[in-house]
Amino acid sequence: MGPDASALRAELRELVGEHVPPGFLGAFTDDPADLETAQRFCRTLAERDLLCLAWPAEFGGRGASVWEQTVVREEMWAHHEPRGAQYMGVNWVGPVIMRYGTAEQQRTHLPAIAGGEVIWCQGFSEPDAGSDLASLRTAARPVPDAEGGGWRIYGQKIWTSYALMAQWCFLLARTSAEGRKQEGLTVFLVPMSSAGIEARPIATMLGPHHLNEVYFDGVPVTAADVLGEVGQGWKLVQEVLAFERVGIARYARCERLLLAAPAVLGGQWDTLPEELRARWARMLMHCRRARLLAYRVISLQSAGTVTPGDAAAYRIAVTRLDQESAEVLMDILGLAVLGGADGNWFRAEVEDHLRYAQASTVASGSIEMQRILLSRALLSGAS
Amino acid sequence: MNIELSEEARAFGNTVREALADAGGDQLIRAAERDPARRSGAVAPLLAELGLWELAPRVDADDLEAAAAACRAAGWWCAGYPVAERLARPADLDVDGLLVVAGPRPAAATANLDLRWAAVTVDGRRGLVTAMRPDGPPRTASFVATLDIAPARESGSGDPALGLVLTCWTLLGMLDRALDLTRHYVRVREQFGQPLSAFQGVQFQLTDAEVERAGLEMLAKYALWSFGAASEAAVADALAARLAAIEAAEIVFRVAHQLHGAIGFCDETQLSWLSRYSQPLRRLPLGLSATRAALAAEIGTHGLAVQ
Repeated sequence: MGPDASALRAELRELVGEHVPPGFLGAFTDDPADLETAQRFCRTLAERDLLCLAWPAEFGGRGASVWEQTVVREEMWAHHEPRGAQYMGVNWVGPVIMRYGTAEQQRTHLPAIAGGEVIWCQGFSEPDAGSDLASLRTAARPVPDAEGGGWRIYGQKIWTSYALMAQWCFLLARTSAEGRKQEGLTVFLVPMSSAGIEARPIATMLGPHHLNEVYFDGVPVTAADVLGEVGQGWKLVQEVLAFERVGIARYARCERLLLAAPAVLGGQWDTLPEELRARWARMLMHCRRARLLAYRVISLQSAGTVTPGDAAAYRIAVTRLDQESAEVLMDILGLAVLGGADGNWFRAEVEDHLRYAQASTVASGSIEMQRILLSRALLSGAS
Repeated sequence: MNIELSEEARAFGNTVREALADAGGDQLIRAAERDPARRSGAVAPLLAELGLWELAPRVDADDLEAAAAACRAAGWWCAGYPVAERLARPADLDVDGLLVVAGPRPAAATANLDLRWAAVTVDGRRGLVTAMRPDGPPRTASFVATLDIAPARESGSGDPALGLVLTCWTLLGMLDRALDLTRHYVRVREQFGQPLSAFQGVQFQLTDAEVERAGLEMLAKYALWSFGAASEAAVADALAARLAAIEAAEIVFRVAHQLHGAIGFCDETQLSWLSRYSQPLRRLPLGLSATRAALAAEIGTHGLAVQ
């Protein structure tokens, strides 16, 4: 990955060690101190030009290599994403605005994202439009010019992370019912403080990671809020998904917890059933496998030859790793007596990993959709 | 060998299931979590009324089958009450129930209940629970408590096999329900213009889960018969059933969650509650590797013959 990437990894670890308390389980717990930690950490990164280091210099970034970006993804996920919601603004909201936004939109949004000052949420999924996203029904109804013009938005979004604390929503809504369902969709950049928006939390078993539903009841938007062109929404969302193609570096957290286990258990490690230690070793192989599959996608992506099938193989492997490693870690936990600070953080992190991993094959594109992409790639042109 | 429950036992199981439905059904576990002090509230008196605590599964073959059917019914509703553990109580000790324990930090899902417990290890060493400390609020700890255990003089022959096998029946009831909820959901949930059940990829996931559930059902019945027949292999048979239960639970819940999608993680769906409260049964007293190791140690080179 090169010396720059190694130096960056060391720098990030040092910053995490210094600014993120042990036992931190992400920004969105029931403890407001965790959100403050994340906000502070983002400002620290921003001050050192590390928050949006992948951005081009003209927008305040430093044009980092794909490998440096990979290091950031790995280190942040390994340590429970101490950037909180910011990763979304930095990873794809900002870049999409760079590409499609008006000068005014760029002036409004990019410095705020680069400074770690703003939280975005994503308004894509709906109760009846999950994997079949193009079926979404949230509608932007035109308002006659005589009444002020623009649109009013009606509908419901669901599984919206950060909705309760976000200042802006990257909203996909239907502006036309004509043609194919992928046509007639438009992206709006909507302030969450707009009249007519109500966000409600959803209680889930996934632990302290807030999901919400968001209701839009006649929310006014204007042409100035449209990102790109009216009717171009599906194309933009495909680009968003491409930015996220490699997705979360889940293997990094799995590996960090697996590697911590022997030290945390100390002398108890040798008393574990041999078969459990063999499962542990197998999971480390799976971590390496997932990491290398990710690196392959990154190489292909930087050469401009990546296909959806390439990324799908990685995503299937890494989401299953997430779930299987959680099972192995829980088995290890069940056979150990742990106390002290090390024991406590390890227990809390492993239990959190188990809860959160349950959804990894559903979140950000279900494993079924990845399987469809991969099988299409395997079978295309086959005779 | 007997691998079918009697008609009477099945009928008793249905009675318990209906009574639990009348008492709140899916709401029972929600009420227990909301107000842990009232965990035994609706369930314990109701089951007493049905004569559950008068069953003698250690000495009466009919009662043994009835006990298993009752555990399955409690699992179906995720009743949040240790029915299996109470039914496994040793008659010769002045206690309310029996917990099979293992490992350096014995624990069980017995928090917030005012009950006296005996404990037994897989190799039959008995003790009495002298104190318990809840691992956390039920929302995250699912009523699991760490136990202090004082050794008892009596040995517990028969204890571990009965304790292990009845909890398998509870878990079986949870898997029955998880699969039932999933079967229903994929028929009504539509994506891409058709119900999920029309996709072969969905059908195959369901069948994978059903193979696991059905396999556990047979091993649970076999182990129940083995205990009732005082087989020398009763502990091995119970451990085999437990291993099947852990493996089946992982696959059934994985499939159920996958096919429910995000909604299956939400409190508004019963799957979410079943999934969370299945965790203690899957991990205590022995997790996957520890159960495999215990089974291997128990059977030595004898294998697992079907008698």
